Amino acid sequence: MASIQLRGVEKSFGAANIIKGIDLAIADGEFVALVGPSGCGKSTLLRIISGLESATRGEILLDGRIVNDDSPRDRNVAMVFQSYALYPHMTVAQNMAFNLKLSRKDKQEISRRVEEAARMLDLVDLLERRPGQLSGGQRQRVAMGRAIVRNPSVFLFDEPLSNLDAKLRVQMRGEIKLLHHRVKTTAVYVTHDQIEAMTLADRIVVLNRGVIEQVGTPLELYNKPANLFVAGFIGSPSMNFIDARLKDSASGQKAELADGTQILLPARPFASKSGKITLGMRPENIVVERESGNMAGTVKVSEPTGPQTHLVVEAAGTDMLAIVRADFAARAGDGLRLSFSPNTLHVFDAESGRVL
Amino acid sequence: MANRTSRGLPAKLGLALCYVAFAGFVLFPLVWIFLMSIKNFGDIIAYPPRFVFAPTLSNYAEILFGSEAERASGQVPDLIKFLMNSVIISGGAVILSALIGIPAAYALARRRDTTSDKLRFTVLSFRFAPELVVILPLYVIYSRVGLYDTYVGMILVHQLITLPLMILILASFFRDMPIEIEEAARVDGAGIWTILTAIVVPIARPGIASAMMIAFIFSWNNMIFGLVLAGGNTRPVTMGILQAMTFDQIKWGVMAASAMVSAFPGMVAAVLFQKQITRGLTLGAVK
Ligand SMILES: Nc1ncnc2c1ncn2[C@@H]1O[C@H](COP(=O)(O)OP(=O)(O)O)[C@@H](O)[C@H]1O
Ligand SMILES: [Mg+2]
Repeated sequence: MASIQLRGVEKSFGAANIIKGIDLAIADGEFVALVGPSGCGKSTLLRIISGLESATRGEILLDGRIVNDDSPRDRNVAMVFQSYALYPHMTVAQNMAFNLKLSRKDKQEISRRVEEAARMLDLVDLLERRPGQLSGGQRQRVAMGRAIVRNPSVFLFDEPLSNLDAKLRVQMRGEIKLLHHRVKTTAVYVTHDQIEAMTLADRIVVLNRGVIEQVGTPLELYNKPANLFVAGFIGSPSMNFIDARLKDSASGQKAELADGTQILLPARPFASKSGKITLGMRPENIVVERESGNMAGTVKVSEPTGPQTHLVVEAAGTDMLAIVRADFAARAGDGLRLSFSPNTLHVFDAESGRVL
Repeated sequence: MANRTSRGLPAKLGLALCYVAFAGFVLFPLVWIFLMSIKNFGDIIAYPPRFVFAPTLSNYAEILFGSEAERASGQVPDLIKFLMNSVIISGGAVILSALIGIPAAYALARRRDTTSDKLRFTVLSFRFAPELVVILPLYVIYSRVGLYDTYVGMILVHQLITLPLMILILASFFRDMPIEIEEAARVDGAGIWTILTAIVVPIARPGIASAMMIAFIFSWNNMIFGLVLAGGNTRPVTMGILQAMTFDQIKWGVMAASAMVSAFPGMVAAVLFQKQITRGLTLGAVK
């Protein structure tokens, strides 16, 4: 097991700067998720930690030791690839034993560890099969088995569940979490799926265009997003944004929307140079009523999901998504009123995108 | 539906005709030589050509079991010796090319930069340089260093044929293999040679087999190296055909039978491994 530190890590491919200065410390035994949109450099950063890719600048430390010049072999990291990357000509058992064989463990120990991992991952009956004879979910397990059998100092996962169907994905998610509780090995888990990150990770690193937007626990990111990007990325369905102007009044600071609607802000002094702000409200925090409420809207679409219903409401010139109880009957064209509890509002500077 | 078939019919007929014409073009010499190989001398030189005749196996008997004089003295017939020579030369050349070509192709496939592009082109250029360009200097060199008429010398010169084929076909094959598998092996602690021998080669076995097959056929069919650089000890089977041109006569039937025998392994391989060979040729784009 090991801690991971990245200090000023940068990576360029030719003239393209992909990773632009990453500083990050991951504690021993921590489960960290790396999320961000596709192409933001998640895989590249993971590959730099694994040693498959070298950093153009900066330092990578494993357990306090600089490993920039170490090969993947010397770093003792295990990686689970999105495509699983199993060895097609080897049986499941041979796939899992490959690393142990290369590190010249004796036969008995190899078979003991392979069996142990196989039991843990429910692969006992598949040990003699080849990857081509396995389903996607089974291959995924083998890829996991290949990683845990080694007892590595760090687990690296690169979107390991994205090739599975939705149901299997949720199931495997649970198993990965259980597994981590059991082995407590430091893990870096790359995903573009923020729900996966929220449910699995101790801490989440939000990456965007090669820079870290915010690091925090899942609830910190959800409750206190540092900027518009994180606010929009974390949470599903995602946060509504409305442009507004700051306005002082006797009862406290207010946000004035384009149509003149005024919304009371939390009791905190906000200051924006231009006075322009972006107001963020999560769909689950919007209160929807028939008669009372401080903003009028019209239902455009009503989407029942079962436990709740998603309403797209046109209000103050934009579309807002609100989540209501399943028994709230609303049809397209219905007039409604929306209101917002000040403490659930997120206020961002419209120019910098930073939270105020 | 009916409309479509009726419209497609002339096109289909035309295509079929083209196939027949092409097959005729390719197969006619083969059929002609085969007929010649089972005719006796009188039927061969008859004009107009005879298509009805009493077939004979005497030409094959002579080349495979020797002439009456050879049989009497217990000599091994020349063509059998030449066949063995070809097996040794082409087999040896292909094995040597595999040993050198597999790592070379892997390096070319995985190192994508200008140096490797230039190397690839150099290898490719061996294929378009006519053998005649190198054959005379090689003859001089071979005579001086004692490689003339040796198996080692023949195997070395056949690298000009087999090595580029192996490298080009295998480089394409390796490039199409998903790199994640090799990266997984690296993370598992494998070095470059372990990756090559324990991961890449086993996975690429079908590609390697078809590349070796193609290289073997091209090497087998070569005549010019045998003509200039081989003497009595190492003459390949393609040279055996010329043995039918004796001082006082040309034994057309024997020549045809020799040609059939020397072409036989290639034809068998082509029929048996048609799929792999086509795949290999299109991969390396050597045609
Ligand atoms: N080997 C490479 N050569 C050139 N560009 C690359 C290479 N690997 C990745 N990139 C580029 O780096 C960017 C980030 O890629 P990646 O880390 O795979 O993103 P993510 O995993 O977040 O989707 C992409 O624009 C990709 O095209
Ligand atoms: Mg990726």
